[in-house]
Amino acid sequence: MQNMRRFFSKWHNWLGLFLVAIFIFMAIAAPSLSPQDPKRPGTVKIIGNPLHEHKPLPPSPEAPLGTLSNQSSVFHSLVWGTRSAVFFGLIVALFSMTIGVIVGLLSAYSNRRVDNFLMRITDAFLAFPMIAGIVMIRQLATILLTDAGVQSFMTGSGSVLTINPDNLSPVMIFLQNLDPLMVTFILLSWMPYARVMNSVVHRIKNLEYIEAARISGSRPSKIIFRHILPNAISPAIIMAARDVGGMVILQTTFSFVGLGGNSPWAYSLVTARDWIIGLGGKFDFWWVFLPITVTIILFGIGWNLLGDGLNDLLNPRNR
Amino acid sequence: MPSFLSNIIQRIFSIVITLMVTTMVMYGIMMLTPVETRVELFMPKNLPARLTEAQIENIRQIKIKENHLNDPYPIQYYYWIKNLLHGEWGYSHTIGDDVFHAIIVRSPVTAELTLYSILVFIPLGLLSGVIAGSRQNKAADHGFRFSAYIATSIPPVILAMVLLSVFYVNLSWLSPERTNVTNYLFVESNQFRQFTGLLTIDGLLNGRVDITLDALRHLVMPVLTLTLVHWATLARITRTAIIEVKHQDYVMAARARGVSEERITWRHMLPNAIAPGLASSVLSSASLITGVFVVEIIYNFHGISEIATRSLQFIPDAASALGFSIYSVIVVLLLMTVLDLVQALLDPRNTHGGR
Repeated sequence: MQNMRRFFSKWHNWLGLFLVAIFIFMAIAAPSLSPQDPKRPGTVKIIGNPLHEHKPLPPSPEAPLGTLSNQSSVFHSLVWGTRSAVFFGLIVALFSMTIGVIVGLLSAYSNRRVDNFLMRITDAFLAFPMIAGIVMIRQLATILLTDAGVQSFMTGSGSVLTINPDNLSPVMIFLQNLDPLMVTFILLSWMPYARVMNSVVHRIKNLEYIEAARISGSRPSKIIFRHILPNAISPAIIMAARDVGGMVILQTTFSFVGLGGNSPWAYSLVTARDWIIGLGGKFDFWWVFLPITVTIILFGIGWNLLGDGLNDLLNPRNR
Repeated sequence: MPSFLSNIIQRIFSIVITLMVTTMVMYGIMMLTPVETRVELFMPKNLPARLTEAQIENIRQIKIKENHLNDPYPIQYYYWIKNLLHGEWGYSHTIGDDVFHAIIVRSPVTAELTLYSILVFIPLGLLSGVIAGSRQNKAADHGFRFSAYIATSIPPVILAMVLLSVFYVNLSWLSPERTNVTNYLFVESNQFRQFTGLLTIDGLLNGRVDITLDALRHLVMPVLTLTLVHWATLARITRTAIIEVKHQDYVMAARARGVSEERITWRHMLPNAIAPGLASSVLSSASLITGVFVVEIIYNFHGISEIATRSLQFIPDAASALGFSIYSVIVVLLLMTVLDLVQALLDPRNTHGGR
């Protein structure tokens, strides 16, 4: 209760909670906030005729935040981008947290040799840069799919057309729908969780109450999941909350430079890049990049603040 | 001294282990692909230009047999590693070059960017961490925390776009790419001797200060983009460490003796607060290298990242993908070692306590 009071006594915890709540609300309510075009469903909604109009148009009732040069609605990309970002961030953070927590728990609870081995592996993964992982995973996925007979073509409008053979195995279909960026992020961001978990479990596994449970004959699985895990997981949860924002920012970055991933935010930023600055240095077309930039920054800040707030809530020692 | 030696031996040991684990994982991933893709890793450097399909197929079959590409994983891995150690990293048709050679040619660009980023963000991070920490809850501290939140939440691409549109398009103070065109032509010609490959240093060694200045001018935006996040992280951790150190007995004792606040901060607290921040920088060197590559792509520096982007454009290109990955792991390990050494040099427990 005291932790609760401390959590709610700071205005920046309120701010973090508020921002994250707004983003989650936007993610859930996306279909009613900005309905998709029934003819061309997707995260890009074209308004008006792109063949007649080549300039970004200012906000109008149809597009509350204006349009980009290809007449797609900024507001639509913003809302649906939030949905995809929340989805992406939560999945990556949850999966990498799970892997990290399991590795950390196992290594700390087993004997010294296994512990050393697992921690060496963890350290080795720490030396693997994200970008190299993306290159490897994308190469692998494409090679496997091409080998299975999937053909991809670049169409004139820049999208990719894929033709599947008739008898594609379920594994390959799964692989086809997998986001290489997501896989890479999960595979290359569990290490900090494992290290933190490992050190926390090392600290508490010899405390009296664990000793008591062991003497009273509890099974190791029960000790791990009932007694150790609940007491050791709070740092991992705090890190995961901060990671949601960080991962989405990284995804936007990689998407923007063309390393894959399908972030609607990055897509509209790429479309807007030539219109950021107008003639004479006036930000005439502010709506092409300002709303999305502010949203991304607030997304990062919101989850970071939430992580700090959870730190107040779950970690009574540091104040 | 023996502890120092054993420390070094331990470090070398862990580097070797890391390289082994990562290469094993990489080759394990390659094992999932068909044998025709894997044989690209072993294709000779300079095949004559005119070969028929049948002849190339023939060479492939020979290479498959030579390198035991249909055998179990450990045997294949052994032959692959042997090849790697001989500097034969395969031929990449997307770069049109031997992968090893392509990497060596491009690495000075990446090295220069990394070097200047470290030189900028470590001193600045420590400095602002100390200032914010020693003035906890004052205006400077609040200002720092606010800017650190922004700095960690702004994607580098957006920062780069804003910087480009303000300083390049509008004010034309700074520009993207490595040098301007005239300098570039001169640098590539015979009159310019390449000592290190780093333009800023080579310019001085050749007696052309203008080239150095130009290269520095071109480095400002990339380095700023790259260091902002790492500056914020390092400074934040240093700030926390300073706040923790603040209430310890020796600081109290120094204060009681009447040592000035300035001296306490810089001579007593700073050396003890350096370790945690730098340790986290060591752990995040992989993300620094990723940042270097991303920044190279944004600002059109033709560094190592060129290999990655080209290999993704025409996809079955195993040789350059693997080469790029291995090289980046090696760079990260080097960076970790350097930062570790810096930390060891700055940490007072290593220089004073041991004697």
